[in-house]
Amino acid sequence: MSFTRRDLFKMAAVGAAASVGGNLQASDDAYPIDCSQTYGVLVDTVVCIGCRKCEWACNNEHKLSTTDLKTFEDKSVFQQHRRPVDNAYTVVNEFKNPETAKPYTIKVQCMHCNQPACASACIVGALKKNRLGSVDYDAWKCIGCRYCMVACPFQVPAYEYNEALKPRVMKCTFCLDRLEEGRKPACVGICPNEALTFGTREQLIDLAKERIKAKPELYFNHVYGEKEVGGTSWMYLASTDFINTELPKLTNDPIPHTTETIQHGIFKSFVPPLALYGLLGLIMHSLRENKEDKESDDERS
Amino acid sequence: MTKNRLLILFAIVIATGIVALPLLAQRNSPVAMPTTDCTRCHTCEVPTLREPCLKSCPRTEMVHQQGNHNLQDAPDSMLLSQLADLYQPVHFNHKVHASMAQMGTDCATCHHYSPPGKIPPCSDCHSASSESTDLKKPNLKGAYHRQCLSCHREWSHDTKCVLCHIPNVEGLMKSATEDPTDIIGKTHPVITEPVKKVYQTPYKPAPVVTFQHKEHIDLFGFRCVDCHEKENCGNCHDIEQTSKIKKTQEQVHAICNDCHKEDACSKCHDTKERPGFSHNKTGWPLNQYHNQLDCWACHPTGRQISKLNSMCISCHKGWNQANFKHAVTGLLLDEVHAEMECSDCHADHRYEADPKCDDCHDDGRTAKTAPPGMRTKHSGR
Repeated sequence: MSFTRRDLFKMAAVGAAASVGGNLQASDDAYPIDCSQTYGVLVDTVVCIGCRKCEWACNNEHKLSTTDLKTFEDKSVFQQHRRPVDNAYTVVNEFKNPETAKPYTIKVQCMHCNQPACASACIVGALKKNRLGSVDYDAWKCIGCRYCMVACPFQVPAYEYNEALKPRVMKCTFCLDRLEEGRKPACVGICPNEALTFGTREQLIDLAKERIKAKPELYFNHVYGEKEVGGTSWMYLASTDFINTELPKLTNDPIPHTTETIQHGIFKSFVPPLALYGLLGLIMHSLRENKEDKESDDERS
Repeated sequence: MTKNRLLILFAIVIATGIVALPLLAQRNSPVAMPTTDCTRCHTCEVPTLREPCLKSCPRTEMVHQQGNHNLQDAPDSMLLSQLADLYQPVHFNHKVHASMAQMGTDCATCHHYSPPGKIPPCSDCHSASSESTDLKKPNLKGAYHRQCLSCHREWSHDTKCVLCHIPNVEGLMKSATEDPTDIIGKTHPVITEPVKKVYQTPYKPAPVVTFQHKEHIDLFGFRCVDCHEKENCGNCHDIEQTSKIKKTQEQVHAICNDCHKEDACSKCHDTKERPGFSHNKTGWPLNQYHNQLDCWACHPTGRQISKLNSMCISCHKGWNQANFKHAVTGLLLDEVHAEMECSDCHADHRYEADPKCDDCHDDGRTAKTAPPGMRTKHSGR
């Protein structure tokens, strides 16, 4: 069995067509999710008392550490600003309300964006938005490029730098196993003050607005995560402006939007490769004609 | 022509049908079932008009209701023992918390729903199950913890479980407060209000401001909450005093300006500390009767006090020569003087001035040296 050049071209064309089709399907598959019905959590920092039990519950659920619950009662950690790391998917930080000088605490973890930048940046599809609301990570697919860490507007994904052989990207999983069983995430379950409320995004946005309306003197009139970067599954209420706290000021446009528009636009209908190959073909053809002309001229002479 | 009539008839039949059909359909359709769950509001399966067996909860939305409840009827302390299998019962000192709540929003600080009659326990409305589907209402655990920890974390910055829950394990008991019957470790001292507060202000011409705290309460009838409306536990109890922030000049004056808006700076600012208010300075020292009156009994024009007419009948409208008992002034007139006109002694009916005797008596006597009658136990004006 032998391939002619023609066969090869044919196969390439079929392959290209298939990959175009596949790509389109993948991009359709990426955000067809009705994010009003995905699950989310409302973090009410007005109700939060900074007990750090959510940190313990998370560590316990994901076997990240075996530290005793009592050690989490230590408030001295608030003196430093902490970020989620590979052995702590969530941390609580304390800030001071500039108007009242009263402290308030904010829990940080993966926001599980509706249109996650990490998933868009991932070149192997190891990160994906789930229909339940979580942004899932597949360590088996991950090649460790850490583009997700650069792409994340909240700088959440951490990396197991201490792991020599099989390092993974580490971030809040939204307790996917529990979600699939219809249970709340571990942190929500343990919160003594119910500062964390689990529900669908739609319910939570209603709830958040209702709380602001009921006690406008307690709440800053903004539901962080309702619109930021196209909406996030985890949303926040606070007593003061979110700027200069844990949560950055971000646009309402989804982060992947610009890059994906350009990239997908260019590759739509396979135009640039076809154009490139067409151009190359033309050049080759014209060169060949020149050569043939030359040869025939030589023969004649 | 016949064709036209038939057409009109046909049109009328169709039109009537269109109008009547929905009405008929409505009449025939069964009663629309409510989409809400009956058990949300009713405790029994078949509520009737006579016995609606309504749950005592705010139903559709959070309702704030304050019935006419008396603090005296409430218990001084309570034992919360629902979790007795896990922890020792929590001794909740209701009296102490209630007295502190008077500085804030009173009973409503904790009892956000208190309809007339029995105050419903939290568990009537807040579900003990952690799997409740009503997101708008915290579960029982959340409701309890919010009540306690929201204030306790504000001033003690402590959210340790043992603050309230003493584990039911031998040997761990000592880790809690010395006196386990008192939730805040030691009894709250009686709050004694200061008589006056002397402030040193940055206003150079007259830096000293004397605020007569007690006077404002006693004379002007202010309640604590009238001025301390935005106080919370942390304002007094914060163990880290960092949370006290400097008020702006505007904020400092705002609280006084509610009443003293029209007054000049010198109303409060002085170069030295000022004594308190005395009615003697007004030229009308108060007698034992007037002394007992609230300021507003005589000065009814709000908190802006103005000089009154000193004529007795400007207030005691019913008094006249015939029914006035002179004995209430401290002097029972003798027969001779009782027959006289009031103005014979009290010139021009000016009763705050000393009476004159020299119209009849030329020995230079005064009412003090030779009273025209008998002194009674009443004294003065």
